[in-house]
Amino acid sequence: MATLTEAATTRRSAQRTRRPRVKAAPYLFVAPFVLVFAAFNAYPIFFALQLSFTNWHGAGALEIIGFANYRYLLTSPDFWQSMATSGVLWLLVVPAQVLVALTIAVALRKARFRGLFSAALIAPFVTPLVAMAQVWIILFDQDFGAVNHGLSSIGLPTIGWLTTAAGAKVAVALLVLWRTTGYAVILLMAGLSTIPTEVYEAARIDGASAWHQFWSITVPLVTRTLSFVVVIGTLTVFQLFAEPYVVTGGGPFNATRTAGLYLYKHITNSDLGLGAANSMLLVLMVLALSLASIRLLRSREDS
Amino acid sequence: MTTPLSHPLSRRTLFRGAGAALVAGGLGACAPGNTTGADPLPSSSATKPPSGELTIWDRTGDLYKVFDKAIASFTAKYPQVKVNHVAVDINAKLPATLISGAGVPDGAFYDDALLTGVAPHLHDLSQLIEQYKPDIAPYKLGVVTVDGKVVAVPWDLDPGLLFYREDIVTQAGVDPTKLATYDDLLGAARTVRDKFPAAKPIHLENDQFLAQLWIDMFANQQGGAMVGADGKLALDSDPYRKTLTWLDTVRAQGLGTLAKYTQPTDLQTQDNGTQVFVPWAQWFVFAPQQLLKASKGKWRATALPAWEAGGARAGVMGGSSFVIPAKAKNPELAWRLYEHLVFSKEGYTAVYGKNDVYPRGLNTSIPSYLPALDPAAPLFETIDALGGQDLWKVAVEAGKQVPGGYTIPTWWGKAVDYFGVNVQKMLAGRMSPDEVLKTSASQIQKNLMGPN
Repeated sequence: MATLTEAATTRRSAQRTRRPRVKAAPYLFVAPFVLVFAAFNAYPIFFALQLSFTNWHGAGALEIIGFANYRYLLTSPDFWQSMATSGVLWLLVVPAQVLVALTIAVALRKARFRGLFSAALIAPFVTPLVAMAQVWIILFDQDFGAVNHGLSSIGLPTIGWLTTAAGAKVAVALLVLWRTTGYAVILLMAGLSTIPTEVYEAARIDGASAWHQFWSITVPLVTRTLSFVVVIGTLTVFQLFAEPYVVTGGGPFNATRTAGLYLYKHITNSDLGLGAANSMLLVLMVLALSLASIRLLRSREDS
Repeated sequence: MTTPLSHPLSRRTLFRGAGAALVAGGLGACAPGNTTGADPLPSSSATKPPSGELTIWDRTGDLYKVFDKAIASFTAKYPQVKVNHVAVDINAKLPATLISGAGVPDGAFYDDALLTGVAPHLHDLSQLIEQYKPDIAPYKLGVVTVDGKVVAVPWDLDPGLLFYREDIVTQAGVDPTKLATYDDLLGAARTVRDKFPAAKPIHLENDQFLAQLWIDMFANQQGGAMVGADGKLALDSDPYRKTLTWLDTVRAQGLGTLAKYTQPTDLQTQDNGTQVFVPWAQWFVFAPQQLLKASKGKWRATALPAWEAGGARAGVMGGSSFVIPAKAKNPELAWRLYEHLVFSKEGYTAVYGKNDVYPRGLNTSIPSYLPALDPAAPLFETIDALGGQDLWKVAVEAGKQVPGGYTIPTWWGKAVDYFGVNVQKMLAGRMSPDEVLKTSASQIQKNLMGPN
């Protein structure tokens, strides 16, 4: 009996030795993140996907209606108008933001008091939006706003900034630019700081002009940061809600009803299924635009 | 109650919120068994001395303070009752609370425009209101009656009035109190412009939500509404056509200032005398009292002109009532409280009369309980911002003329995306009145009412 027990103990001991040892610690360490991610990211996304195939209004059982929400949206002039509005705002905001931010970042590369400038640039980003939106309404008032006053004082015609479709888009775009460009500058300044100064010294020795240095060294070496700025800008514009909501209410004539604002309408209308489908379409649209932007910039980087 | 406002955007924001909540109120229409006020509130216990505890919701701000004082008059009368008076964003919170059934208050203050959306979740108060029916303004009784059942205790009435700049019109030789019809008002606007060429005398509302509310006031004045008594769409009809045609004439002849209510252009042009006539709800009085500077004391109010000679001189724009949720724990106590506030002299006087918050009384609306509307017994005092005018007398006379039979559809707020926006296009000269009505009716029918 004792022999049998000893043999069994020896066998178990050998099995323990052969079995790969599972280390629990790493799993324990990542578990909080995985759990939080599953609860607050993965589950909502899958629930939203599920909702997009229902006509749920916030109460009662989920009734599956197939692709009806998607069909409705893809044939709805309102949906396409909101997408077109976001598209126009993207054109007004993102290229200008990249251009302005890169220019400022390059100009500040060797400037003194960079920290001070950085703080000044980030200030609009952290200023309460509602307060600034009210200032915007006053500045861009057609009859009594400072902007039109400035235009007329130099002999230019005044513009219906908040009363015409085109003017309202520009006013909203300017507010977005004002708020977000500083953040892009900070990102690009970080990108620029990674470029070795020797590269510029070598270029100067080879007789490269400032423009050549900018175009042939700076731009290619910050392309990845630029890609990031473009993607962030794209996300910002297609999720744009607060600025048009406060400044124009989506008007005039729904001319500034962005994709984000249109999505909000579904939620306030309690059309949660439709809203979920709208958000899924928005995800696909933003993904496509972001990938296209990255590919475009990478091809520039490769060339 | 419409409403003491603490800052210039409150009214606009309020109605925006109301619009959002109104469509959220569409939840009610989606609930299973879309009947209205299914549980009649028993009236038997109304004879017993009230006792117990109840929770009611009111808007935040000045109005909360006013109601707090008024509730004190109720608890002084019934010391066995404890009222938990809570200030919340009702428009945002009540629809979801009614649907979920969790944390439901015993009573809540609520915008009339939202009522139909949550009606299935409210007590049927028909039996209790019956005794007061002859004394309630007909318009208000229609608004709180859904599917034949009274689902709210009617509170305030917000009659439309013609506000005008006394100093300017006097210089132009116009007497607004003599303007019998809207054609007369057009003529008066031309006269003012002849005298002051820079003037664009008549206010044209450029906020799509408020424009819809405003045009409904004109339609109500003519006995019209977006839907008829049969529930069918009645937008493409004479009252709306006449209103839009008149507004388009104001626009086309350069007789109007297109501005959003209380936005910079609006306030500046009212202060500098460009805008002279503002046909608006009684709550416009807040502007000269709190927002306008140079023209404070120069504004006056009179009855709206009629659309046809001898027609009604008033319509309604806005208003609120008290609701008692079907899932309230102490609905009978809530009824007793609201009965005190609305139908007793002590109650409505505590709200509208002089108090700590409004030393000269609350003057942005009037009660909808007709016995309270005695021209000789004003609840609020004369108003300095109107040159010492007795607004009470003007408002109660208008309030008594407001046509009844008005119905608010559940989709009213959603219609802003169609009708409100198309009106905005018309005021920008991009659509004709006929196009607005036909396009809006088609859009509303297709998107909000369905094939039936």
